[in-house]
Amino acid sequence: MELIVNGKRLEVTEGATLTVLLNELNINPLRVAVQLNLEIVKRERYENTVLKPGDRLEIITFMAGGAE
Amino acid sequence: MEKSDVLTFAGRQFRSRLIVGTGKYPDYLSMQRAHDASGAEIVTVAVRRVNLDRTQESLLDHIDTKRYTLLPNTAGCYTAEEAIKTAILAREVGLSDLVKLEVIGDQRTLFPDNEELLKATRVLVKEGFVVLPYTNDDPVMAKKLEDAGAAAVMPLGAPIGSGLGIRNPYNIKIILETARVPVIVDAGVGTASDAAIAMELGCDGVLMNTGIAGAKDPVAMAEAMRHAVLAGRLAYLAGRIPKKLYATASSPLEGVID
Repeated sequence: MELIVNGKRLEVTEGATLTVLLNELNINPLRVAVQLNLEIVKRERYENTVLKPGDRLEIITFMAGGAE
Repeated sequence: MEKSDVLTFAGRQFRSRLIVGTGKYPDYLSMQRAHDASGAEIVTVAVRRVNLDRTQESLLDHIDTKRYTLLPNTAGCYTAEEAIKTAILAREVGLSDLVKLEVIGDQRTLFPDNEELLKATRVLVKEGFVVLPYTNDDPVMAKKLEDAGAAAVMPLGAPIGSGLGIRNPYNIKIILETARVPVIVDAGVGTASDAAIAMELGCDGVLMNTGIAGAKDPVAMAEAMRHAVLAGRLAYLAGRIPKKLYATASSPLEGVID
């Protein structure tokens, strides 16, 4: 199924959970915050959050930088 | 220096009064070495989308979160709403409940939009954040931010990255006279003496990024800044001599050889 992750279209296994997605993307869940369709998903819920086609995700972390 | 001369805000204590950033370094190794040389205990970070290209290294691979306190900033936000959303996401990462609140009013100067900044401060304080707002050198604004619950006030010395130093020490001095929270100069520091001047005024700390990261030798400059902040603080605590128009001889007038 197709999702939009950080503004990019991504093909992901049908019925994948957030945990599965982060795993597939090689992202450490302890280092990110996730927003699904404009709502923040608490980390405890990643395993139980099943993604649907067309879901929009923002996966946020800390990067180098300041005002630019 | 007394052992008790620590930087305190929101119930936390820090021995270093120098806060550094993570941006604009040539590479992660020089960033790590500069952080180490600076003696800083607090490091600012930006809040951004994860890079889905997993071949890129990530910042958090290069910061020891046991050693450094992370201070997420809301860099790139131009409205209270954007800054609030960013702060909430930053806290969700779970590595810090501090926020360096930046709400920018103008792209060229990167001066703060104080109206939006105050709005965002109020909301975030209510949400339980430890808010450190980047503001200008207006004592009236500093008071409002403090009354709104900011854990410190951070007046700029000069525009971000300008290296112009402390452009208005008089206003900062006035802010220092009435502030009941730490005053940390944030932005504009270009070289060591700028940082020392901020500390000599009585500031509780200095925050800088470009001054170190943009120097020809960031690691050497980080070390210079560490000394500068220490020297400025010691000088302030030591109580300087007054400025006089005329000389005051140090040697006695009697017993002068004829």
